[in-house]
Amino acid sequence: MRWFTFFCILLGISLFQSTLMNWINIGSAAPDLYFPLVIFYSFLADIKRNTITNWFVGMSKDLFSEGSFGINAVFFVAMGFFVWSIRGVLFRGHLVTQVLVTFIFSCIYNILYAVHATLSFHSLGLSATIWTIFTCSLYTAMIVPVLFWIFSKLQPVQEVFPR
Amino acid sequence: MRTSTPSFSDLIKTPIAAIIILLAISLSFLFLPPKLSNRIKMTCVVPMRPLQWATCFCSNSANNFLDKVFSGWRNAHVKKQLEEQVSQFKNKILEQQDTIYKLQSKLYTISKFQAENKSKTKPIPADIIGYDSLAFRKSITINAGSNHGVKPNDVVVSNNALIGKVVLVSGGSCVVQLITDPASRIPGRVLQTREQVIVEGNATGFCQLKYVPRWAKLKKGDDIVSSDIGGFYPPSLPIATVVETEVKGGDLFQSVKVLPRVNISKIEHVLVLTK
Repeated sequence: MRWFTFFCILLGISLFQSTLMNWINIGSAAPDLYFPLVIFYSFLADIKRNTITNWFVGMSKDLFSEGSFGINAVFFVAMGFFVWSIRGVLFRGHLVTQVLVTFIFSCIYNILYAVHATLSFHSLGLSATIWTIFTCSLYTAMIVPVLFWIFSKLQPVQEVFPR
Repeated sequence: MRTSTPSFSDLIKTPIAAIIILLAISLSFLFLPPKLSNRIKMTCVVPMRPLQWATCFCSNSANNFLDKVFSGWRNAHVKKQLEEQVSQFKNKILEQQDTIYKLQSKLYTISKFQAENKSKTKPIPADIIGYDSLAFRKSITINAGSNHGVKPNDVVVSNNALIGKVVLVSGGSCVVQLITDPASRIPGRVLQTREQVIVEGNATGFCQLKYVPRWAKLKKGDDIVSSDIGGFYPPSLPIATVVETEVKGGDLFQSVKVLPRVNISKIEHVLVLTK
């Protein structure tokens, strides 16, 4: 795993997420480019590298948002750890697995964040929040094939996704 | 037989220790005072601002170019400009209506005081250079900061309508908390019925009104303007329009959904009103 490549990908994703994602949103839902990166490195790297990359991804997301500083780092490290711990029983080279895992864990992450936001502000409506969680997670899962293809071109993953 | 104590460098080599250390760092960030964590955030992202600005500039230019290409077919560009102008005039009319109402209500002295306060505000134009990366928070980054005279809590408007307030400021940029953010609470007034309300964001494209009594006669299309209660926001700025009202069984208050006057995802420039 090349750290320089990782930081370049992270920089690119941060730029795209904080600028261009607004142009392709559906209602209030925009795809989360950070989350596929968390799943990708959870599939790709060993536990230590996985933890460090997910922490950097979370901190980067925290820097470009108005939320509590550090909350995404905690969530992403936890999510990455869970994905890493179950990856042995998954056929992680298959596209359907990648899309499904991203969708399910994105739902869990969004639910956790929604709970945090609700506890902090008491202003989120239940139906609107569920709809946002679903659309965001679905949208994020839909872009996984493209993102995983780009990530696998940039990172040496031949030995990780055996054919 | 002697056993050696593991050193710190050995300790961080174990995965569990790495996880614990990183989680501890993240949690310690979470418990930092907001002022300090905001300062860390703004300092860390300062080098990224020019890149954000360049990306936004390129995407806006590309978007405008495509817009112009397609408008050749349907005169969409002219229509868009006219719609923008109409929207501006409508908002201006709303503001004027509210002022007239106040004059009719013989609150001349208060209106004069407000007008004086208004004249003290100095508008600073700024471009939007970034958006919030979280689905449940709504904020924008603009390219005006403390170097331009922007301060925290300055009000931000677009097309004469309120869109938010400044929450974080660095030298050349600042973060604006939008009215749709779940942490946003704005004192407002229903233009037609003069009911006092609080406009609250809920992380969707809409906002909701809090503490509207169930007997209040609100209807679709009623306009919400900012109120001078609290002295934080300038009065009479259009905020939103009522789109849905619902009175549930035993609730004390109505559930009212409102649509912000400005479609925030479609604007490129804003005005910061400095005090």
